[in-house]
Amino acid sequence: MRRGSILQLILIGVGAGAIATAVAIFVPWLPTPASRQAGRIDFVYWFATVISLFIFAVVAAILIYAVINFRVKDPMDFSDGPPVHGHTTIEIIWTVVPAILVTAISVVSAIVLAQNSHAGSNPLVVRVFGQQFTWTFQYPNGKIFPILRLPIDRGVELEVTAKDVIHSFWVPQFGQKQDAVPGQVNSLVITPDRLGTYPVICTELCGLGHALMRSEAIVMKKADWNSWYRGTSQPAPQPSGGAGVSAGAAIFTQYGCVACHTFTPIPAATGKVGPSLDNLKASAAKAGQQLQDFIKQSIVDPNAYIAPGYQPNVMPQTFGSTIPRNQLDLLVEYLAQNTK
Amino acid sequence: MTQDVRTAPAGSHADHHAPAEAGNGHHGPPPRPTGIHRFTAPGWLRALWTTPLVGFAGLGLVCLIRWAAHWDPIWYSVPLVTVATVTFPMGLLIGIGAFDYWAYYFSGKPTRPEDHSGHGARRWQDYFRPNTDHKVIGIQYLVTTMAFFVIGGFLAMLFRAELARPGDQYFNPQTFNVLISEHAALMIFAVVVPVFAGLGNFVIPLMIGAADMAFPRLNALSYWLLPIGGVIMLVGMITPGGGPSAGWTCYAPLCSHQPLGQVFFNMGVQWAGASSIVTALNFLVTIITMRAPGMTFWRMPLLVWANFSTSTLVVLATPFIAGSQFFVLFDRVMHTNFFETAAGGYVIGYQHIFWFYSHPAVYIMMLPGFGIISEVVSVMSRKPIFGYRLMALSLLAILVLGFSVWAHHMFVAGMASWLRVPMMVTTLLIAVPTGIKIFSWVATLWDGRIHFTTPMLWAVGFIAMFTIGGLSGIYLGSVPIDIHASDTYFIVAHIHYVLFGGSIFTVFAGIYFWFPKMTGRMYNERLGKLHFWLTFIGFNLTFFPMHYIGLQGMPRRVADYASRFADFNLFISIASFGLGASTVVFLYNMIHSWRYGEPADANPWRSLTLEWQVSSPPPIFNFDEVPQVVGGPYEYGVPGARHAILGGATAPEPVPSGH
Repeated sequence: MRRGSILQLILIGVGAGAIATAVAIFVPWLPTPASRQAGRIDFVYWFATVISLFIFAVVAAILIYAVINFRVKDPMDFSDGPPVHGHTTIEIIWTVVPAILVTAISVVSAIVLAQNSHAGSNPLVVRVFGQQFTWTFQYPNGKIFPILRLPIDRGVELEVTAKDVIHSFWVPQFGQKQDAVPGQVNSLVITPDRLGTYPVICTELCGLGHALMRSEAIVMKKADWNSWYRGTSQPAPQPSGGAGVSAGAAIFTQYGCVACHTFTPIPAATGKVGPSLDNLKASAAKAGQQLQDFIKQSIVDPNAYIAPGYQPNVMPQTFGSTIPRNQLDLLVEYLAQNTK
Repeated sequence: MTQDVRTAPAGSHADHHAPAEAGNGHHGPPPRPTGIHRFTAPGWLRALWTTPLVGFAGLGLVCLIRWAAHWDPIWYSVPLVTVATVTFPMGLLIGIGAFDYWAYYFSGKPTRPEDHSGHGARRWQDYFRPNTDHKVIGIQYLVTTMAFFVIGGFLAMLFRAELARPGDQYFNPQTFNVLISEHAALMIFAVVVPVFAGLGNFVIPLMIGAADMAFPRLNALSYWLLPIGGVIMLVGMITPGGGPSAGWTCYAPLCSHQPLGQVFFNMGVQWAGASSIVTALNFLVTIITMRAPGMTFWRMPLLVWANFSTSTLVVLATPFIAGSQFFVLFDRVMHTNFFETAAGGYVIGYQHIFWFYSHPAVYIMMLPGFGIISEVVSVMSRKPIFGYRLMALSLLAILVLGFSVWAHHMFVAGMASWLRVPMMVTTLLIAVPTGIKIFSWVATLWDGRIHFTTPMLWAVGFIAMFTIGGLSGIYLGSVPIDIHASDTYFIVAHIHYVLFGGSIFTVFAGIYFWFPKMTGRMYNERLGKLHFWLTFIGFNLTFFPMHYIGLQGMPRRVADYASRFADFNLFISIASFGLGASTVVFLYNMIHSWRYGEPADANPWRSLTLEWQVSSPPPIFNFDEVPQVVGGPYEYGVPGARHAILGGATAPEPVPSGH
């Protein structure tokens, strides 16, 4: 090769590499990490990116150079290229060098994976339940919430499972993801290190409400989290109506109703997937049923009456078997008493 | 190409519509049946009554059994649909005569002496019946898969319209999920997997110097299984109660509880899978036993190597997806408990079985494309392929490694966690043979005399796009990054860079490359280039931004999404409509050129491989005389080198080759 050609080749390579590097650096590809795990994933990501940029620049340089310089000027040019069949040294190089590079990525990835799976001492263990189409989180004191609240800088071990079909728990800012699989408990470690409120997203197609299966993860200061958590451990202040009402509200929360339905007496119940439950009496009248019967039927056999503007088959039809009968009765009674 | 190279035998293909074999016996089409015989002779008129006869016989049997067993209700949709998707297509196949010869054979009747009446296309109707000519079957496959490609693309346009804005616009979630599931299922099972069977069918026997495939009747049957599979999947869309909506991956237990349309998906996959397996067996036997004298394995064109590797993958892996779909179906129809957790089923088991096919399927959808690119790059650069043997060996390396990486689709699935690291290592190691291929193509370009015809544009476009898709694959291979990126739009971007920018680009390269051979006419070069540039630009504008929104937090398979992704999605939707529109240019070019294109020379690309040494289109039995292969297939620039000697009036002279 002439010296000018080599120079041109290198210039193209540097140019292509520079453009790709700019794209890699100036586009904020990953969300700002909010956990130590996401920080480590960032590191692996940049490790792989440096190697990818190098490979991209080399391939782009040779490809672009060849396309510019080796195209026939005249379509009537019937000459052939030099009969080069291969070059053993070059072939060994482009077998061995990529093998070394991917091995390096493997090693770095394996180390980070091991670190990201380690919750440290005294982790906070939270059970995560996925169900169509909501998340619920159970804390060590047995209390269940529709929103995940975590203290900053403490290892959290999520025990992820599902009640019906496969879901997947993902908080983009935490970088960690785990499928929620019925019949088994999968562990996921998160060590939040940035205060804020982040979306919890279901990433495994789980049915008609999949796109709406969202919750929130709130990272709190340690002191704030401790006082919140102590507060939840106290017996809840009795709302008017007595123990039955608070039990009904707890069941309403526990089975995830809050994620899909708006119900004013429970502040957390702001879901929009299903109809609001504030006007059940009117709906029961429209369906031509007694209020209690209507509520019970709507839970056990949700397709029997579809509120105007909503689709059948969105609400799971499994609550009849998953909610024990005595709890179901409490829930029906609670809703009947508190709706308008 | 230029005028003078293809002026030569313009009208020469006319006489090839007559059988080329002279002498022994009757060769013309048999006399047309008349009167009532038109309804008993194999054909569509017979299918008109055999399809409902066999179909309803199956349904009747189901009802009879349910009645006898006192099951209620007697008329129950789930088993009926399951049986119907077997018996109606069987009736159709019986009607059009796919089993006639074997039926004679089994029943002890004298089999009819082969009059070749079912071989080759003398009129357009011959494309609409079981035909034993591999060239006809190849075109049947290609036209069918392109039809499914248009339908699948149209479905994508529909859900991109929905995704142009957050919130629900045109479709409810059920319809949206059906659209994405059907788009992917059609594109994978009815387009990319079988389209290579079509190209391979046309080209492989010619390339290895054979008169046809090893089992022509099986070949005829295997084609007809494909439209049956595709149509069954499409019928699922319009099933009362709702279509298949669990994604093309159809994960249990969600898909066991989908509306009735899911059964059509489960069964459609069986037909398409059976078609793949039968064709792959045929390829394997053909490639192993029917190569022309002198065509050693190390003299086979790389497309033949690629189809050899692919067919091995298909035969070994496809039964697993058949199994996975049957198990899901059994759970629904027979109340077995393969994946029902409540009864002790193993949910992750579905994914292991599914991906044990569906990862190798990625190579089933890619290796033949590698073969096409090797042919195009070498011919259009006028140079031998760089590192021929390593290119062939890397195909085999991908074949072997391809079976040891399936669980990288399951890094977040909750499988045995020790499996993650070994599967990551094997996954990343596949980058080595894949890299060898990319580097070798680029090295083949180096110092060549590159002719930028349409197929070459697609080939170079493929190399660029596949490099990007391969690099994003490195990210996904690394477990910690995959945990973040899994099930997001990053995956959607990656799969389209390898399956569209990868496989489909090679399909277009192949279709333009062999169009003159298949039709005897040249396509329109300017329209071909326009098609490439529209697709190339539309493709990148559509899919590149998906990397970003995926990593930022947009999950796949959602009809509604966070408002901060609204602008990106609007942009992507508009770009995707442009991408869809580019297909119109392709279709117009193909249809118009097929009818009115300039007659093509036998060898417009000055290629050395055997398919170009016969007329365009080739004679009905390919070669008047068995060719003698005397050298490698890519000896461009080697003075005096020949790949094969045809019309051997002269004794074959061994010519020194580069190998």
